[in-house]
Parts: sequence; C-alpha cells; structure tokens
Amino acid sequence: MNLAGSPLRPAPDRGDAPVKFQVRDLVRTRTATSGAKVTAVDGVSFDVHQGEFVCLLGPSGCGKTSILNILAGLERQNSGEVLMDGRPVTGPGPDRAVLFQEPALFPWLSVRANVELALKLVGVPPGARPDRAMHWLRNVRLERFADAQPHELSMGMRQRAALARALACDPDVLLGDEPFGSLDAQARELLQDEVQRVWVESENTKTFVFVTHNVREAALLADRVLVMSAAPGRFIEEVRIHAPWPRRLDDVLVARVVSEIHDLLMQEVER
Amino acid sequence: MADESTPQEPAAPADLGALELTEEEQALLGKVTDVVRRIHFGTVLLVIQDGKVVQIEAAEKFRLR
Repeated sequence: MNLAGSPLRPAPDRGDAPVKFQVRDLVRTRTATSGAKVTAVDGVSFDVHQGEFVCLLGPSGCGKTSILNILAGLERQNSGEVLMDGRPVTGPGPDRAVLFQEPALFPWLSVRANVELALKLVGVPPGARPDRAMHWLRNVRLERFADAQPHELSMGMRQRAALARALACDPDVLLGDEPFGSLDAQARELLQDEVQRVWVESENTKTFVFVTHNVREAALLADRVLVMSAAPGRFIEEVRIHAPWPRRLDDVLVARVVSEIHDLLMQEVER
Repeated sequence: MADESTPQEPAAPADLGALELTEEEQALLGKVTDVVRRIHFGTVLLVIQDGKVVQIEAAEKFRLR
C-alpha cells in the first residue's frame, strides 16, 4: 500500500492535540419581548482541539449562533463554563477572529485599507502592514481589487476580503457564523475552497469553528460535525470525518455523510 | 452463470490462507482492521488508484442522546 505516494493529504488524527476550547454544561436563556424565558442552549458540553475544524450544524433557532458568540466572547452564558487554553472566556480578543454572514467592511475604506486597519488594531507596526495585507489579499485572489471600495465588489469578493482581514491578523481561532450564508452557489463554492486551502496550509496550528445549517458545507469542511436538535439546542449526534482535504462534494464519503446527517435533521425538524 | 464483469465472490474467512496474501496486502488488511475495530457506527471507504489502495477514509458516528 502506497499511502505516501497519494496526491491527497491524509486526514490527521487530532486526539493528542491540546484542547483549545472546553465547554461544560453551557446554558443560554433569553427573555422574549413578551417576558417569557426562552432557552436557546440547554446544557451542552464539548471540547475543540487545537487544529481542528469543527462545524456546529442544526436547524434555525437551535442556539448554534449563541454558542459561537459565547466562544467569541460577544455574549455571556447564563450558566456553565467556557475555557479557552484553560482560561475562562470573558470577552472578545485578538486571538479569535469572527467571520459574520455579512462581510462588515468599512464602506469608506478600500479593501486594502480595511485589512490594514485590522492589522493596526492588533498592534502590527505600520511598516509591516502593507506587505502583510497584500499577502492575504493575494491569498484570497483579490490583489487586483486591493484599491477598490467594498461597494464595487460582488458579495463573494467582499466576503473574501473579510476572510483576508480575519486571517491577516493571524488569530489562533477563526469563528464563522454562517459566513457563506448570503452568497450565491458559485461564490460559496469558491469561498469553501479558499477556506479549506487556508486551513490545510496552516498545518493544523489554527482552529476553525463554523456554524452552519448547510449539511453539505459541514461535511465538506469539518473534521467533526456536531449536529444539534431543534430548540432548545442540544447535541444529538457527532460525526468524525477522517477524509483528506481538499474534499469535493461528490466524494463518496462526503456524499454519504451528507445524506445520513440530512436524514437525521429531517427527523429532527419534523419532531 | 456469472459473466466476466461480475466481481468474484469474496473468500470466506476460513479460506484466508488460500488467498496467499502478499505482505503488502496483509499490511492493508491490518490497517483496515485497525480502523474497523475503532468504529462502532460509521463507514469505511477504500480509495483505489491504479489497482492500489491509496487511501482509507472513514466517518464515525456517535449518538449523543
């Protein structure tokens, strides 16, 4: 057997990697305008290891965005514990970049200036900013549009600029809240390829946690998919996918995982 | 009657010796068995190129409720 000669990369085993996030008995409740208490997340526990790509997958309103916001430090849990590198998460920090569904670029700054501003905010010295910004814009194939204003770009290109901005700051963790949700099918596929490539090239030093309700996206990108129930959100299944990257949606294993998770989720939303 | 395109029936476990496995094939069986033993529910997929297994892929499922 000649696995070494394969043009594809083998999927690494990350069981021995240090734990990046440790989440225990997380509960998040909200108060609706009527005054009623709504439980968004109902006592979930999970670990994310360094270098893992984890997707939280579930129907709308299952609390997956709440979990991501809590990991990002943008929201606080009502009870339970969230540790990053063994320390409690109390707020946002430059070690975690967040990609939202909207690119959230400053409309009055060029693409390049948007990336450079982020670099300034994380303390990169002025002399190093232009090269680093251009490196990441090249990486997402936007170098020709570095001086364009965001409104001159397509939605997919704006989201690529947001990805470049997030990664230029060299965060340990990239959190994505449906980052490709508002894109058309082709732009989405391009971005999924970019993300796969960037993550593979990071050589398992960066940890990615994405939230999605797109089963195909989860099976394509993740090492591990955590499938959530309808509200109140709990984990109902975990799927570990040991397949190399880059993956394609028509890979036999990916297609099979997609159909199995899809069936499970259909049972869940009909419940 | 089976035509030529029909894959051969796999040998029953008792006939393993009759297969006269090469060292390479024994190593492959060992690796596949190792993966299979670690999975309670899931799928194991062998990717074959040019008559050689180049990759073992697996998806492992855990029911959490």
